[in-house]
Amino acid sequence: MNFGDTVILHAVDQALLAVMIVVIMFGMGAGLTLADFRAVFRRRRLVAIGFVSQFGFMPLLAFGLAHVLSLEPYLAIALILIGTLPGGSTSNMFTYFARGNVALSISMTTASTLAALVMIPLLLNLYTPYFVKQIGVELENGPEFVIPTANILVSLLLVLVPVAAGMILRHRSRGWAKAAEDTAGFMAMIVILFLISTTMIRHHALVAATPPSVFLAAITLGLFGFGFGYHASYFLGAPPMDQRAISLETGIQNGPVAFAILLLTFPDAAVVNPMLWMTILYSTFIVCSSSIVTLCLRKRGQFDAEVAKNTVVHRRLFGPDYTTRYPDGFLPARIRKDPAQGAFKDG
Amino acid sequence: MLSSDIQSVAGIFRQSAERFGDLPAFATRLRGGRWQPLSFRDLYERGRALAVGLMELGLRKGDAVGIISDNRVEWILAEAGIQLCGGVSTPRGTDVTDADLAYMLEHAEIQVCLVESPRELERVDSLADQLPRLKHVVLLSGEVDGVLSLAELELNGRERLAERESELEERLASMTSDDLFTLIYTSGTTGKPKGVMLTHSNMLSQIRNVPLELTCTDRVLSILPIWHVFERMFEMYTLSRGVCSYYTSARTLGQDLLDVEPTFMGSAPRLWESLHDRILEGVRQAHPMRRLLFKMARFLARRHHASMAFLRSEIPQKPRGPRICIWTRKGVHLVRVSLLLPFYGFFNASVLEAVRQKAGGSLKATISGGGALPSHIDEFFTTLGIQVLEGYGLTETSPVLAVRVSGKRVRGTVGPVIPNTECRIVDMESNRVVWPDPEHPEQGCDQRGEIQVRGPQVMKGYRRDPELTHTVLSEDGWFRTGDLGCVTWNGCLKILGRAKSTIVLSNGENVEPEPIEARLTQCLHIDRVYLCGQDRRHLTALVVPDLQVFRSDQPDIHSLSDLAEDEQARRLILKEIKHVQAQSGDPRFARVQAISLLSSPFTVGEELTNLQKMKRHVIEKKYAEQIRLLYQSSAEVPS
Repeated sequence: MNFGDTVILHAVDQALLAVMIVVIMFGMGAGLTLADFRAVFRRRRLVAIGFVSQFGFMPLLAFGLAHVLSLEPYLAIALILIGTLPGGSTSNMFTYFARGNVALSISMTTASTLAALVMIPLLLNLYTPYFVKQIGVELENGPEFVIPTANILVSLLLVLVPVAAGMILRHRSRGWAKAAEDTAGFMAMIVILFLISTTMIRHHALVAATPPSVFLAAITLGLFGFGFGYHASYFLGAPPMDQRAISLETGIQNGPVAFAILLLTFPDAAVVNPMLWMTILYSTFIVCSSSIVTLCLRKRGQFDAEVAKNTVVHRRLFGPDYTTRYPDGFLPARIRKDPAQGAFKDG
Repeated sequence: MLSSDIQSVAGIFRQSAERFGDLPAFATRLRGGRWQPLSFRDLYERGRALAVGLMELGLRKGDAVGIISDNRVEWILAEAGIQLCGGVSTPRGTDVTDADLAYMLEHAEIQVCLVESPRELERVDSLADQLPRLKHVVLLSGEVDGVLSLAELELNGRERLAERESELEERLASMTSDDLFTLIYTSGTTGKPKGVMLTHSNMLSQIRNVPLELTCTDRVLSILPIWHVFERMFEMYTLSRGVCSYYTSARTLGQDLLDVEPTFMGSAPRLWESLHDRILEGVRQAHPMRRLLFKMARFLARRHHASMAFLRSEIPQKPRGPRICIWTRKGVHLVRVSLLLPFYGFFNASVLEAVRQKAGGSLKATISGGGALPSHIDEFFTTLGIQVLEGYGLTETSPVLAVRVSGKRVRGTVGPVIPNTECRIVDMESNRVVWPDPEHPEQGCDQRGEIQVRGPQVMKGYRRDPELTHTVLSEDGWFRTGDLGCVTWNGCLKILGRAKSTIVLSNGENVEPEPIEARLTQCLHIDRVYLCGQDRRHLTALVVPDLQVFRSDQPDIHSLSDLAEDEQARRLILKEIKHVQAQSGDPRFARVQAISLLSSPFTVGEELTNLQKMKRHVIEKKYAEQIRLLYQSSAEVPS
């Protein structure tokens, strides 16, 4: 597809986006404590499942989709970049609504954000060479295209600066940190909705010109992510509440990080435009699909969440060794062996 | 679900023991945040031992047994014992006055009385000369030489259980659903306590008909006085469903909400008022950013819920105008909901959730009964996302008559009448049934009159008082509630006040004091307000000022009596009252013209019932002089 002279993001949009990235990442940091980092190790088994879904499956899926749908190289590279992204604070909110394990979601976000420093450059170098070569063939005599690994690393570090600042605020004042977290979420939502609606309206011609395969890739990446996270964690023995958290964490990627990387490392408009377009499409569809998935999971999860909560409260009040014995047939098979039922301690 | 062959409350204890076994039925707080559970099986087994123990004391089937105690786990054990040997429990809280206590024990012909602690034992002992029939007193907690304790009673029973088991079984088998389950003495608002006789079928019908869906995974915090009929019914309900009840108290409520994270609660309006105040106080002390976020969250939530209520036809007034207008309005609300939804969703998850955590965080809904829930409190909790289901009932109706249910959560009403219960609205003067009108089923909505009901929950009568029974209970089973109400267009019952508390001014105008009082209580400087004006030219009010608020501005004020003399405070409050009344558009005759500040607060047992309702006749009598002076001085003021 041909972008011509289209300017995907005007200077104003870029500024807005930059502010949003800083605010979102700051808000994310404001919700984190050192205890969350420690909790990662306590839940290492589940976090590992999430890790495999996020950094094992998602990039592979992105790579596969790009191949099968024969995406243009820049779009393909953007898709793979999205696939390698860590989770963001959005997934924590959706997990809350889906009655998933929010603490686990936070742990996974924490772990994946740190791991991303290593994993993103590594995975990009693993999956993109094929498409980079394609660009080389197309350009023939033009300047050589390479994935600027060092720049990506720098932009990732830059993105982590507001996160660290948020954590410091959280350390200083809990009340302000909570306010910052909520304000950030609220502002981010307004900016996201604004950016999506304005770009979609402004570039309706581009929407029409985008081949269906690109839409398909943008939609399926998230949806397959949800499905894989949900079922893979089930086969690996994760209880329902954690299943829901892992599912959402896998499917929802930290979009702002992608924008940050793109804007900071690819100055060439011809390169960055298709990549931005892919990211915008993904962001648009993920907002819708994750809302729907969350609603489904929420409905399905009500009973499980109540059972788990009851067990937690019983153990807290009656002693850690208390076992809640429900009447025969009260618990459905899917949660009878759930660790949250008292079979073994919170893992 | 209760199996259909159960004939008595004793059957509930047995069925639950079989069904729920080791699950906790009740729990009480120990020290250090730990709680002690009592399983369904233990409750039943210990209840059986106690039943034999009571039989050993000579208790016959159908004998009344007194329980003078506040909420504690021994209470429910005692109740199990009494029910399992066919006795009739006759409970009261420890705040009962000596006169009422003596009257109740004598009137119910009680031979065995269980008391909470040595303190209550002393009181009963001091009344001994008025109680010739009383033979045995059992202590629920503590130890006094020569007095049987509950533990000893249980031990005695356990030893003899094998021997008398068949007798126990026979007794239970011979029980019919028409036998008495309990006698509840209500101090009511007038005169001598009345002994309300409730049968097993009264209670069982409630458990079967109350539209609640709780299961083994629910946790209920028990805060209402345990002898109060709503709490009794609710405990029987939770028992039959395998729900665990956690006993709390007003003192530890804040912490218990956080510890237990209840999913459901039965409560009185006062609890929600204090929770409302506490939450708002917390918000007021937060820094400006948080306050702003909370305001935005409320703003969005209020609009979201208002639109949803309109779309679901859950508004008290029928929307007027041609159909096209109504559909247009629905369309506008639909658009508003969808536009606000992402933002409301976000604020709901972040800001409102943080506030909800203070109320335990797991509350699915709560039921409020025993008095009208002020509409601003109602609205506040709805916007927070905590459903406060207002219900309506009387001791005489075991108690639930109506309750808001999903799909009929019409604010300002107490919801539709529960299944298997008939209701009619009878005009007070003409005695004509204004709703339902058999010839015009569409008509009669919003017509006010006395609420009368007929159903399986209506009491057998007042003990040893057929005359009084006759005045409220007609031959064909209609019970006169004495409450004014109407039925809204969407079939919900709306309570408009006590039929008897209506103030008739000398010019013939009628004023319902309760709704006005509820609105005035919202004023910042007012704690309680009582309207008077029966047979007078205009309304006046007795006000208990909110000492806390005054003190935060003027630290030199130490007590209510300081305030009572303060002319400035009186003016300030009167101004507030006038402002509120003008804003809410009360008619001129229903406006307060003068007020008098009281020098002491209203207290439970004196001016207030246990459910914090004002005893109007007591207040009228106690402050007669002050009211007279108030009218004398306000007569000089042109109204």
